[in-house]
Amino acid sequence: MDLIRHLECFVAVAEESHFGRAAARLGMAQPPLSQRIQRLERELEVRLFDRTSRQVALTKAGRLLLPEARELLARSESLRAAARRIRDGESGLLRAGLPPDIAGDTVAALLTGFQDRRSGVELELHELSTTDQLARFAAHELDVGLIHHPCDVTGLELGPVLRRELGVLLPRHAEAAGLTEVPLSALAGSDLILFPRAGAPVLYDDLLTTCARGGYTPPAVRHGQGVSFVRGLVLSVGAVAFGPRDAQAADPDADLVWRPLAGAPLAWRHSVAWPRGHGDTAVRAFADAATHALRTTADARPDTPTRPMRLRPASEYWL
Amino acid sequence: MTRTVNVPDAPDRIRAAFADAGVTGRMHALDIDSGAQLGVDADQLVCTASVHKLCLLVALHERAAAGDLDLTEQVECSPDGRAPGPTGLAAMLDATRLSLRDLAYLMMAVSDNAAADLLLARVGLDAVNRTTARLGLDATRAVHTFGAMLASVKEDAGPAGAQALADPHVVARLRALDPARSNRSTPRDMTRLLRAVWRDEACLPEHGAAIRRVMGLQVWPHRMASGFPFDDVLVAGKTGSLPTLRNEVGVVEYPDGGRYAVAVFTRTARTAATLPAADAVIGTAAHIAVDALRNR
Repeated sequence: MDLIRHLECFVAVAEESHFGRAAARLGMAQPPLSQRIQRLERELEVRLFDRTSRQVALTKAGRLLLPEARELLARSESLRAAARRIRDGESGLLRAGLPPDIAGDTVAALLTGFQDRRSGVELELHELSTTDQLARFAAHELDVGLIHHPCDVTGLELGPVLRRELGVLLPRHAEAAGLTEVPLSALAGSDLILFPRAGAPVLYDDLLTTCARGGYTPPAVRHGQGVSFVRGLVLSVGAVAFGPRDAQAADPDADLVWRPLAGAPLAWRHSVAWPRGHGDTAVRAFADAATHALRTTADARPDTPTRPMRLRPASEYWL
Repeated sequence: MTRTVNVPDAPDRIRAAFADAGVTGRMHALDIDSGAQLGVDADQLVCTASVHKLCLLVALHERAAAGDLDLTEQVECSPDGRAPGPTGLAAMLDATRLSLRDLAYLMMAVSDNAAADLLLARVGLDAVNRTTARLGLDATRAVHTFGAMLASVKEDAGPAGAQALADPHVVARLRALDPARSNRSTPRDMTRLLRAVWRDEACLPEHGAAIRRVMGLQVWPHRMASGFPFDDVLVAGKTGSLPTLRNEVGVVEYPDGGRYAVAVFTRTARTAATLPAADAVIGTAAHIAVDALRNR
């Protein structure tokens, strides 16, 4: 029997709880769908569904087998994606996006790690913002990428989310520069140098909201992005800026210092992303290599939510 | 019959408002009487979430009009097996009895999931799909109950529960957020449905009036209604929400008789549950669209 096809039927009926709707989703008639389920039940020698009521319900055996079936289908999809790439004559090419703020050491570690995992596949790297990567995923022009959160993840599959904690860059003579860890509230009174809001409005707003909650509302926010430009502004106007440790110059300016923030309230959050259903072995090798490179060279750590989520009635959903 | 309004800047302004609020938005707005319209990705397939309660409400009235059920019929509402939710019967603790039409009120006014599933059990999922198909809403389909939709979110979120929904990795795997596997529609289908309800083309006038009444009783002020801070303007709508998903479809009625059907479907970049700006941009988008339709 075609096990994959039969498992697709099993998962569809389980998810729709209804033979008619599952048949419509699979683009087939209902009688052959029922026959396939019966054949699968005979093959596996367990009953998967209770068909007593008008709705179809999973049996205990069905519930236990459903995750296994989904896993097998995902692996089968991965195999098809790999075959598709080979068929399209691009057997050796993986098109991957990286954001501009990734340090050179991280890129080097990623490249080495990827070649160790997939020596036959050529990696074509593109420097792209998250917005550009999402647009290229939609246009089928990019296979995989490292993106910044938050962003709209509709239609994507993600690797684990990692956080690169941000510290503060400040003039050496500033009072807070004497601290080993700087609380946000110790920055009160200093202007902030920040990237222009239009580039990433959500990140921009989140950053200022977190600063305000931590006791730091900058008297003025000045916009700047390039590393030297930001360092120049911090020096000349006595302002502060945020950045990850790995993005600081190797030979630091004697007039500027970088300090971690107390409690690590601010971070860039990254994950590898690819279009749903297109995660083949090359994509997964990139995901593993990027995750490993960020953890070893950029001090990135797994970002699992720790704060409670207190849903309010207007959320309309409840778990 | 319909024509597209020549206000090229309204869709651009709506896109800019969505981007500023940190959401991806699709929408469609329709002048109910003239048929003038405008949209942003109006034919994109979207997850309806609780917006599908409007389809259920129309199907309920269709079956009532056909004599299959009586809207004053009493339903036993046991606390066992109620669909979860933070409002209405879903949040109540004890057994009670309500008529079908009062269940419909709770379903529409506060998006009561338990009331919705009791109605769905009586009306039938197939009847909901027959109703939307009859009205020509080709992209609109209900595939599961509201309880089943929330159960899939709970299952996909895993043992950490609601807290895990702050993780984009988890949000990306929620089946309830995939239009191929959840209750779905398009913005254009939804304004078509609203237009039919407001023109008494979906049901007999007495049923149309009942649907419009409960839609006008929706309590939420934070989404579409927030875009129309005018005491002489009526906003009747139905919201829909899931992690990172915020929707509302509704009709805005002006005192000069202007009536506009608007459907807005958004996904936020942030995974946070409390995002006032993302709720409010639904009103902003609706207001830009309605202004453009009124000033054409």
